[in-house]
Amino acid sequence: MYFCLLTNNIVNIFALEIWDDEGAKCTFYTVKQLDSDVSETDIFFERYDAKPEYRDANRDLLSFVVYAIGEDHGAVDELFNRDENEVTGLPVQGKRTVENITYHFPDFPLRLYALKITQNIVVLFNGGIKDGPTNQTSSLHLEWRAACEYAKRIDKAIRDGFIIIDEANRILKNYDGSDVIIL
Amino acid sequence: MRSKVAQRILSETPEETKIFARLYADIVVRINQLLKENKLSQKDLAESMDKRPSEINKWLTGEHNLTLRTLAKLQAELGEPIINVPQRKPMHTGEGIKGSMTVYRNTVNTDVTYTKVWKRSKVKSKTTLANVS
Repeated sequence: MYFCLLTNNIVNIFALEIWDDEGAKCTFYTVKQLDSDVSETDIFFERYDAKPEYRDANRDLLSFVVYAIGEDHGAVDELFNRDENEVTGLPVQGKRTVENITYHFPDFPLRLYALKITQNIVVLFNGGIKDGPTNQTSSLHLEWRAACEYAKRIDKAIRDGFIIIDEANRILKNYDGSDVIIL
Repeated sequence: MRSKVAQRILSETPEETKIFARLYADIVVRINQLLKENKLSQKDLAESMDKRPSEINKWLTGEHNLTLRTLAKLQAELGEPIINVPQRKPMHTGEGIKGSMTVYRNTVNTDVTYTKVWKRSKVKSKTTLANVS
């Protein structure tokens, strides 16, 4: 099942499709440009799995997403960083407000951007190497900007009622129940 | 359905990597639950443990990995188990020891609300048994 979000901006046309719904606690969606065969999240994981210096970190991150969030806990606040504009970076790093202390994967080199819809539904985007103190100064700047853009469109579609959150079934649905939405 | 790319990479991922990710997340969630339950901030924790805030910050913001000693200190301060090591218990029968069982004293589950006082669950009213004469 997938949704098509047709827009007029840089990330013009993309599909919102299920990336992993096998976990007991959380369904993950991803975005895919309609002229591409590969989702943005798969592009991220394949890219860093192919680089020996990042392979271990990539597998740590994938295991964290699929098992810790997807299977064991869901998208609880404790496992998410603070929002960086419209999206949040995974894995959790520990730079949180005082009452939400976390400490996972210190000095982790990779960031995968995500949009938490509910505690049981998360959209994953692309990401990159966090090689600067901020997203703006890191080489993943473009991926972060693109993720924010995707997130804005999805958020607006939800607020406008084009996408319905079906919490009982842990899925996103078109307003008329169909699999495809054109905005 | 799971992404084929994710499936492939996970199939090549060492089991220890998967175990680490799950265990560490369990600990993160557990400690956060206990901090919230105890209404403790990082600063409060530092004061109550008679430590410098910077030292607590190092434990809690990932500047170094949590050690067993650190976990023990946190557990002592927070007053409840953070991690649990299962134990093997022998199973006895009338004819002597017949195997063993693994005993788990607690588990981490985000669906569970921890309360200090154990409350007995409400018992459903019993159905009256039919009179048998």
